Amino acid sequence: MRKLTYQEALVEGIREEMIRDDKVFLMGQDIGAWGGPLMSHKGLWNDFGPAGRMIETPISESAMVGACVGAAMMGLRPVVEIMFGEFLALVMQPLACDAAGMYYSSMGKVRVPMVLRTKYGVGPHRGHEQDYHSWLAHIPGLKVVMPSTPYDAKGLMKSAIRDDNPVVFLEHMNLYHAYRQDIPDEEYTIPLGVADIKRTGKDVTVVATAMMVHHALEAAQELSKKGVDVEVVDLRTVAPMDMDTVLTSVKKTGRLVIVYEAWKVGGSGGEVAAVVAEDAFRDLKAPIVRVAPPHIPIPFAASLNKLYLPDKQRVVEGVEKVMAY
Amino acid sequence: MLELAIAKIKGNYHPAVGEEGVIIGTFYNLRKEDVVLPHFRGSIIVPYMRGASLRRLFAGIPGKLTAYSHGRYRGDICGPFELNVIGMYSGALGSSLSLAIGAALAAKLKKTDNVAVVTFGDGTSNRGDFHEAINMAAVLNLPAVFVCQNNQYAVSTPFCRSTLCRSIADRAPGYGIPGAKVDGNDVEAVHLAVQEAVQRARDGKGPTLIEALTYRVLGHWVADPATYRSAQEVEEWKKKDPIDRLRKKLIANGTLNELQVEQINKSMEEKLSVAIDEADKDPWPDQQILGLDDVFAGGR
Repeated sequence: MRKLTYQEALVEGIREEMIRDDKVFLMGQDIGAWGGPLMSHKGLWNDFGPAGRMIETPISESAMVGACVGAAMMGLRPVVEIMFGEFLALVMQPLACDAAGMYYSSMGKVRVPMVLRTKYGVGPHRGHEQDYHSWLAHIPGLKVVMPSTPYDAKGLMKSAIRDDNPVVFLEHMNLYHAYRQDIPDEEYTIPLGVADIKRTGKDVTVVATAMMVHHALEAAQELSKKGVDVEVVDLRTVAPMDMDTVLTSVKKTGRLVIVYEAWKVGGSGGEVAAVVAEDAFRDLKAPIVRVAPPHIPIPFAASLNKLYLPDKQRVVEGVEKVMAY
Repeated sequence: MLELAIAKIKGNYHPAVGEEGVIIGTFYNLRKEDVVLPHFRGSIIVPYMRGASLRRLFAGIPGKLTAYSHGRYRGDICGPFELNVIGMYSGALGSSLSLAIGAALAAKLKKTDNVAVVTFGDGTSNRGDFHEAINMAAVLNLPAVFVCQNNQYAVSTPFCRSTLCRSIADRAPGYGIPGAKVDGNDVEAVHLAVQEAVQRARDGKGPTLIEALTYRVLGHWVADPATYRSAQEVEEWKKKDPIDRLRKKLIANGTLNELQVEQINKSMEEKLSVAIDEADKDPWPDQQILGLDDVFAGGR
């Protein structure tokens, strides 16, 4: 057992998969000797750079992703880094318009086994923070992963690399170097599309992803002092979304709060709410509450950031609202 | 002939009549392991050249069950992948250049000497994808051949109003790679230029940008009356028809005689007619092909 950060766990997962399968290669900007933005590729260059398995590119996001789609179609397993999620608009044509539909459109003859890594998240880096996962989750054929812990990050990355579909792997910058967690010495993977109950409880279900899982857990701890028993469901993968776990939890607790970092309007949390309303309406004891940012561009000043983003207090308020109904 | 036959099947096909010299010249005599990414205009001819069934190709135009995609995707712009044809998987132009460099990268990483050959229009040459893909192919020294099928029109916009450089090939020095301009209506000239570029790519010497200048004789799609250009201009280019030119040349140099040309045409007409009839009678795809659980490889 070793203690690794989210960033170290991601790199370790990638390293293991590169050793395991020589079809895996990496592409990105500044991923070589410099180590990648926020050290996203730290230590990999010495082992895989000279062998030609790490391709540094010019600033050409669309061509990078298009090239990885082409290489994946031809049987390789690219892991491409687009520095920040803010740049996803630049790659939506090859990713969402082309790659996502290829398996279906070709009657299963084309497979696009690639991973697109990208960093996002409101946090200490003061920029590039946009959470655009809702765009991606909307597209049939894309898998979208949003890990919340180092343990999950490693296990999900390994599964993403082994997956035969285009997977977008969203890495939260506020978690990147935040803390260390025990990582087993032996190999493990975590399947995509399976949620994880991070805390069991009987009174209310809080569904969250990535950074918001941590706020939900802090809120749960505070609420437990007030006698409210919160169950925290970490979706881990927003597409495909594990609604079975959510529905089972809601049927037990009868109350649902959904916390997410993307804008509330049109966000994937709305989909969670819609499915629960469709499939578990009679199990609900209170209306569903969504805790998510307001529909404004992300404000810059730290004081405004704080007002914008859901935090522990906002989750507590959401839970109290459904409990008081 | 193939292009004219397709035009009869469906009203919105984008005919490549007059541009056959570029298509045949570019994609003739490649290996089956080479990856080809044909421009949507004329993209039916390329899988046929690589052994695809005419009936299945024609079935792909309306989307019949017998089509290569079983009707899930439009066959007029997207050929069968099993022949190493990468068609357009969306209706948006440009990403084929990026997919081409990806296929070229795969060939290189697998340590083969296979190449990727992509054709695209003069309109597409002004997409950012053109710049990003060619520049990246240049710096990564990838075995890719870029052929601009310059038919002088992007829908209704003439080349001279979208592009001030005189030839797309003039952009090559800006990427530090060789460029060549050829007469796109001279199939042999196109073929020689492309084969030279293919050989460079196989030898590990990197990409080439070729412009094959041709002309779109019909409208953007078959029902487009193309009122935005003069009849005189069209007539002038019709005189330069690449098939006519090749036929005259082959007869003049004694390779074929009139009778043989007649026989070739007749036999092709028969094949087309049979294939069209068959595709026409083929069934439409049903609920089973809708495939609600077929979005992900390995299932949901």
